[in-house]
Amino acid sequence: MNIEIRRSAVAFVALCATVSMSAAPPAHRNFVTCPIVRDTSTVPCWLAEYKGETYFLTLQTDVSAPVNPPQLGHQVLVEGVVSDEPRVCGGVVLKPVTLSVLPELDSSCSTMLPAEDRYNLTFEAPRPPGPSKGRLAFAQDPATPRPAPAAVEPGPRTFVVQYDFDGLIAFRHGGQLSQIHDFARKSQAKRIEITAYRAASLLSDDKVFTEREDIGQRRAEQLASVLKDSGLSVTFDVKWRDAAKPDGVNDAALRRADVTVR
Amino acid sequence: MRRTLPCLLVVAAFAGAVRLTAVDAVRWWSPGEGTRLPAYVTYPNAWGELGILNTGGPVETKGHPFFEPIGQNGRACVSCHQPANGMSISLAAIQERWTVTKGKDPIFAAIDGMNCPDLPADDPRSHSLLLERGLFRVFMPWPPVRDDGTKVEPEFSIEVIRDPSGCNLSPRYGLGSPTPTVSVYRRPRPAANTKYFTHSGFGISSFVGKGPIATTRDPETGLPTAMNMMADARVSTLKTQAVSAAQTHLQMAGAFDAAKLQRIVDFESQVYSAQVSHRVAGSLMEVNGPPGLGVRNVANESAGVLGNNTTQWVFPVGDVWKKLPAGAAPREAERNRMRESIARGHDVFMFRTFWIKDVQHLNTVGLGNPTKRTCSTCHGMHMTGMDVANGWMDLGVTNLPWAREEPLNPWNERKPQMPLFKITCKAAAAPHAFLGRVIYTQDPGRALVTGRCADVGSIVMQQFRGLAARAPYFSNGSAQTLRDLVDFYDRRFNIGYTSQEREDLINFLSAL
Repeated sequence: MNIEIRRSAVAFVALCATVSMSAAPPAHRNFVTCPIVRDTSTVPCWLAEYKGETYFLTLQTDVSAPVNPPQLGHQVLVEGVVSDEPRVCGGVVLKPVTLSVLPELDSSCSTMLPAEDRYNLTFEAPRPPGPSKGRLAFAQDPATPRPAPAAVEPGPRTFVVQYDFDGLIAFRHGGQLSQIHDFARKSQAKRIEITAYRAASLLSDDKVFTEREDIGQRRAEQLASVLKDSGLSVTFDVKWRDAAKPDGVNDAALRRADVTVR
Repeated sequence: MRRTLPCLLVVAAFAGAVRLTAVDAVRWWSPGEGTRLPAYVTYPNAWGELGILNTGGPVETKGHPFFEPIGQNGRACVSCHQPANGMSISLAAIQERWTVTKGKDPIFAAIDGMNCPDLPADDPRSHSLLLERGLFRVFMPWPPVRDDGTKVEPEFSIEVIRDPSGCNLSPRYGLGSPTPTVSVYRRPRPAANTKYFTHSGFGISSFVGKGPIATTRDPETGLPTAMNMMADARVSTLKTQAVSAAQTHLQMAGAFDAAKLQRIVDFESQVYSAQVSHRVAGSLMEVNGPPGLGVRNVANESAGVLGNNTTQWVFPVGDVWKKLPAGAAPREAERNRMRESIARGHDVFMFRTFWIKDVQHLNTVGLGNPTKRTCSTCHGMHMTGMDVANGWMDLGVTNLPWAREEPLNPWNERKPQMPLFKITCKAAAAPHAFLGRVIYTQDPGRALVTGRCADVGSIVMQQFRGLAARAPYFSNGSAQTLRDLVDFYDRRFNIGYTSQEREDLINFLSAL
């Protein structure tokens, strides 16, 4: 196996958690807080409070959900947009919304609210709290014919891996890692270039919330390590750098790694 | 005494928790005894009868490497995978062997049948973890070593806080020895129904999100494997497990003969185990009975199927026992009431919601913490109740504060049995999501393989089949009975089962 991991650190652009920048656009709500879980007569709602308002983050569904619920015991970074949808569970709906569970424990994040009739869902949840009806909540309907698998195009292809704030590879990344692995194998790739980023988020209070200093390096090295362990016989070119300045709009997309398979 | 059908076992009715009885230990298979194992055979236990089904037909055990001693200590695979105990080994059987053989049975070999090999031989205190909790010593190199021989750089340090066995502080066998080793104590897992934990179906791909790691691969095929066989997923194919067990537990020297290894795999691939009759509910094998009960259904169903839904079901029970006539005769009435209880217990398992909270590798995989779900959320594999994907998680079986610990006070003369380790995670490591960076544990579980802080206390869940025949339960034998098992969950998740729900759930589990 010809595997060479070349590392090159690119100079950091200074980011500071106390720097004040231009505020995020008015419809955006970017904040760090303890999440709240509210029970209902079916599945629980996930909420968060910010500046006296309650926001609806997401419902409990299953692992196929595009937005995973946060975790009590941890603060959550909320990056969302106020929508004009009716309130859910008493909260203003943020849509789209990105939620990042912060890694360190915070025992103050423990609020569980009981069900109240006025907050029950007015629609059927994508999945009940118990067994499903036969498929994952957001999986493709089994009745829908699946398209034939596309032929593997020769040449480089870039995959973008998105992360939670200060996050590394998580459970939801398994499918994407398999795509990278399968493409590399089928295209008989010789080289995989990984560039991972450390980013920041412009909060609604104008502060900049910056990821840990070594997160770009850790993301890059972890990706290379896991792909290497999957048995790919390729050379890895591993880099890490700081992302562009946050603007309060697309900051979640800056927390990423670009994986180019050649 | 071994019986073939029909077996007319009459067991007195039990009130409340069913305790271990001598009936659990009936019929011991000794290594090398050379008896034929029938294609279908039943063994009595406290709840009724367990069935062993060999789909390949009768097994001639004479000269068979699963049944013959292949190591230096006289053990065979069958020593710890007894047919009468659902291809595991019950505490009652272990205790009986101690009495019958005066501690000379090979299962009491010093290597792992003693709390530590340097303890006095023939003294029951040297075997207390085996004799009181059914636990064998599992000894793991520290730091962990990969398959290629390289060492894992651990994310945490490990300190021995309590060492009742003396093995972790032993100058010869402990962490400070020339070959640093961590000794933990675990139950043998059933070597039956193996297609369900070696499948390549739902949830098995090249990567495991709980890690993250690349999935282990079958060295022969190169394909990703399920990682649900061992408590810590350190090996994942029947062959690699057999080799590992032979080299450690059986003290086999040299290489495994390929033909013998294949015979072991062939046997394990066709042997099925499940409860087939219930002392009150009667036959679990009726043609028109619940389709998820009985050993033939276990053998016939598909593996690698997600059953946490109302189409496939984890344990298909159907409606046949939901509402039965009162019954004319007292025995028939009692039978029908028990059948209805088993059916209700199934519904408790499947539909009774509670808040599942603070479980690393469950609440962290995208479900949120807490998540309002049911038993079948984690125990979702069709027909076995294992995790259909890679099922390690920290339920709290070995990590404090949830692990069973001996109450320390002036009025309790019992001393703690299990070792206790203090895990301190390095600053750069991702912490355990719900216990942080300092963790006290009786068994670091999966973390002894990966060296990861987030894996401390994570144990691979195991199948539900044949529970009635192989108490005690959990990897560390901390639940002596099915009631203890249910009570652990009730306490751990503040479920608040009613007495009826608890009884129904226990009856359901006893029928699997």
